[in-house]
Amino acid sequence: MIRRGTATDGKPVLRLANGLQMRTGNLLAGCGLVAATLILAAWSTGLGLTDTGLADLLRALSGSSLSDAETYALLTVRLPRILLGFMVGWAVALSGALLQSIARNPLADPGLFGFSQGSMIMIMLLLVIAPVAPKSLVALAAVTGGLCVAGLLLWLVGGERSSGLTIVLLGIAVETVLSSFGSLLLLYLPTETSITLSEWLAGSLFQANWSVIAAFTPLFVLGLVGSLLAGGATSAYDLGTEMAQALGEPVARSRPLILLFAVVLSAAAVTAVGPLVFLGVLAPHIAGFLSPAVGRARLLLSGLVGGILVVAADALTRGIAAGLPLPLGLSLTMVGVPLFIIALRLQALRKLQSH
Amino acid sequence: MERRTIFLLAVLPLLVVALALNLLVGYRPEDMPGLIGAVLRFEAQSYEEAVLLFQRLPRSLIAIYVGSIAAASGFVLQSLVRNPLASPATMGVNAGAALFLVAGALVFDIGPALQGVAALAGALAGFVSCIVIARFAGRRNDPRGLSLILSGALVSMLFTGMTNAFLLSDPARRSEFLSWVVGTINHAYIDRLAMFWWVGAAAIVAFLLLARPLTLILFGAEKAASTGVNVPLVSRIAILAAVLGSGSVVAVCGPIGFVGLIVPHMVRPFVGNNLVFALPASLATGAVVCLLADVFAREALYPYVLSTGLVTDLIGGVVFVIIVKRFYLTPANREAA
Repeated sequence: MIRRGTATDGKPVLRLANGLQMRTGNLLAGCGLVAATLILAAWSTGLGLTDTGLADLLRALSGSSLSDAETYALLTVRLPRILLGFMVGWAVALSGALLQSIARNPLADPGLFGFSQGSMIMIMLLLVIAPVAPKSLVALAAVTGGLCVAGLLLWLVGGERSSGLTIVLLGIAVETVLSSFGSLLLLYLPTETSITLSEWLAGSLFQANWSVIAAFTPLFVLGLVGSLLAGGATSAYDLGTEMAQALGEPVARSRPLILLFAVVLSAAAVTAVGPLVFLGVLAPHIAGFLSPAVGRARLLLSGLVGGILVVAADALTRGIAAGLPLPLGLSLTMVGVPLFIIALRLQALRKLQSH
Repeated sequence: MERRTIFLLAVLPLLVVALALNLLVGYRPEDMPGLIGAVLRFEAQSYEEAVLLFQRLPRSLIAIYVGSIAAASGFVLQSLVRNPLASPATMGVNAGAALFLVAGALVFDIGPALQGVAALAGALAGFVSCIVIARFAGRRNDPRGLSLILSGALVSMLFTGMTNAFLLSDPARRSEFLSWVVGTINHAYIDRLAMFWWVGAAAIVAFLLLARPLTLILFGAEKAASTGVNVPLVSRIAILAAVLGSGSVVAVCGPIGFVGLIVPHMVRPFVGNNLVFALPASLATGAVVCLLADVFAREALYPYVLSTGLVTDLIGGVVFVIIVKRFYLTPANREAA
C-alpha cells in the first residue's frame, strides 16, 4: 500500500495508494514533535508547589483516590494549564504561519500586527457596555476586533504592499495606540473585572480552567478546520499572488478566507489567555528550521512547535521561577525579541546572497 | 512677515496660555485674582492656593521640562539620524532609561540620586543597542532607515518587558513604580526635577551652541567639513546631549513617549530645518504640547486622573502611523519602503 519514492527535488517521500504523498522528513519531524509534546506534558504535570505528578494522575485514572491537595493541583491547576497552553500555542503559531504566507512577509505575526490587541480592545468595549455578556458574544467581539485591525492595516499599506518592514512598523504603532486605549478602558470597568483583566492583558495562563477551555474550543476548532481546509493553498501563496493565480488558485476568494481563519485563530487565543506577541513569528521559523515544509505539513508542524513553546514556557515559569508570577506574554517577549532579531539578520543575509 | 517669525512670535503667547490653562483649569473665575496674587507672593493662604502652589505649579514645571527637552532631543535626533521617525521614544532611549532605573532601585536598592545616574546610563545603553541591532539586522538596501526604527521598537519591547519582570519580582515595591513606569507627571516628582534639571539644561545649552554647525551638517557631511565643522565631534556631542537629556526626563517622571516624535513634525513646516530657529521653536512647542496633554490627562475623564504618558502614547501612535503613511507609503516613496 505504502511505497517509498523520491520527490522531484530528490528528497524521500512516502506515497499512499490513493496518490497522497508525504515527505519522510516532515513525517519524522511531526512524530518527533508529538513525542516531545507528550514527554514535556508528562514532565510538566510534576512541576509546582504540591508534590504530585504523572504517576498520581495515572493512579487516579485507574480508580484509586488521591488526596484533595493532589486532585486540586493536578485536575484544577496543572492539566488545564498544559492543555490550554498547548492549544493556544497551536492557534497562535498557525495564525502566524497563515499570515506569513498570504502577506508574503516572514515577519508577520498576529501579535505584532496588532490583531490580538484589536480583539482584546473589542472584548473590553463589550464588557464596558454589557458586563455580563454571553461567551458567544465575547468570541464574536474578539473576531470583529481582529478583523477591524486587519482591515485598518490593509487600508494603511494599500493592499498589495504587505511584504516590507512598513507593515510591521505600522502594526507596532497600532498596537501601541490600542494598548494605551485599553489602559483607558480599564478605568471604566468595575474594580473586580479590571483586576482580572489586567492579568489577562499581560497574557497569562494563571486563570486556565475547564470553563475557559470549553469557551475556547469552538473557535479553536473552527479556525483549525478552516485553516486546514484552506491552508493547502498557502504553498501556492508562498510563491506570490500572481503565481498563485496562475496556478489556478481562486485568489479573490481564498485570500480573504485564509485571513479570516488566521484572525479567528488569534481571536480564540486572545479570549483564552490574552495577547501573545512573537509566538506567531517564532514557531513557523523554528518549524522550518527543523524540517522545511510547505502547505498543510508546514501548518501542522508550526502548530506543534507553537504548542510546545507555550507548554515549555509555562513549565519553566512554574518549575524554575516558582516565586515569580511571570505572565506568559512577558516571557514570550523576552525570549522572542532576541530570536526575532536573529531572524531579521538571517533574512538580511539571504537578501545579500540573492542579489 | 515670514512664516518663521510669525510662528516664533505666536508660540510664546501660546506657551503662556497653556501654562495658565494647566495651572488654573477648574478654579472658579472669581478666585482668579487671589490665586494669581498667591503665585506672585509665593505663599498660600487657603487650601485652593496651596493646591495651586504645591501641586499644580510643580506639575506644570515638570511638564515644561519634559516637553521642551523631549522635543529638542527629538528634533536633533531626526536631523542627525536623517529619519523622520527618530525620537527618544522610538529609538529605545526611554525604555533603556526606565529599565536601568527600575533595576537599580529594585535590585541594588539605590537612592534617588543614583537612580538618576542609572537612568542616564540606561538611556545611553538603549540608544547604543538600537544602533547595534540596526547594524546587525539591517539590510544593505534600506535607504530610508526603517530597520533603525524597527530595532528601536524591538529594543523598547524587550526593555519594557524586562522592566515589568523586575517589577513583578518585587510586589511590595511594585506600586511605588507602577505609575512612574507608564510616564506620569505628578507633583510628587518635583524633588527629582530639582535633582536632575541641570542635565537637561546642559543639553539645551549644548544644542543651542551647536545649532549652526548642526544645521550645516544637514547639508551633508562633506559640505559641513569644508566649512570647517568638525563633523564627528559635533554629531557625537549633540547625540550624547539628546540621549542624556532624554534620560534625565525619564529619571524625573518616567518614559513619556512620542512628544519627541510629534513636535518636530509640527514645527518643521513653519520654521524649516535651520536649527538656530527650529530649536527654540521646538522647545516652546514641546512645552505647550506637554502642558496641554497634562491638562487633558487630568480633566478629560474626571474624576479619574490618567497618566500623561498614556495620553501621549495615544496621540503619538496615531501621528506615527500618519508619518509612516506620508513618508514611506506615498507613491513616490513606495519602492524605497
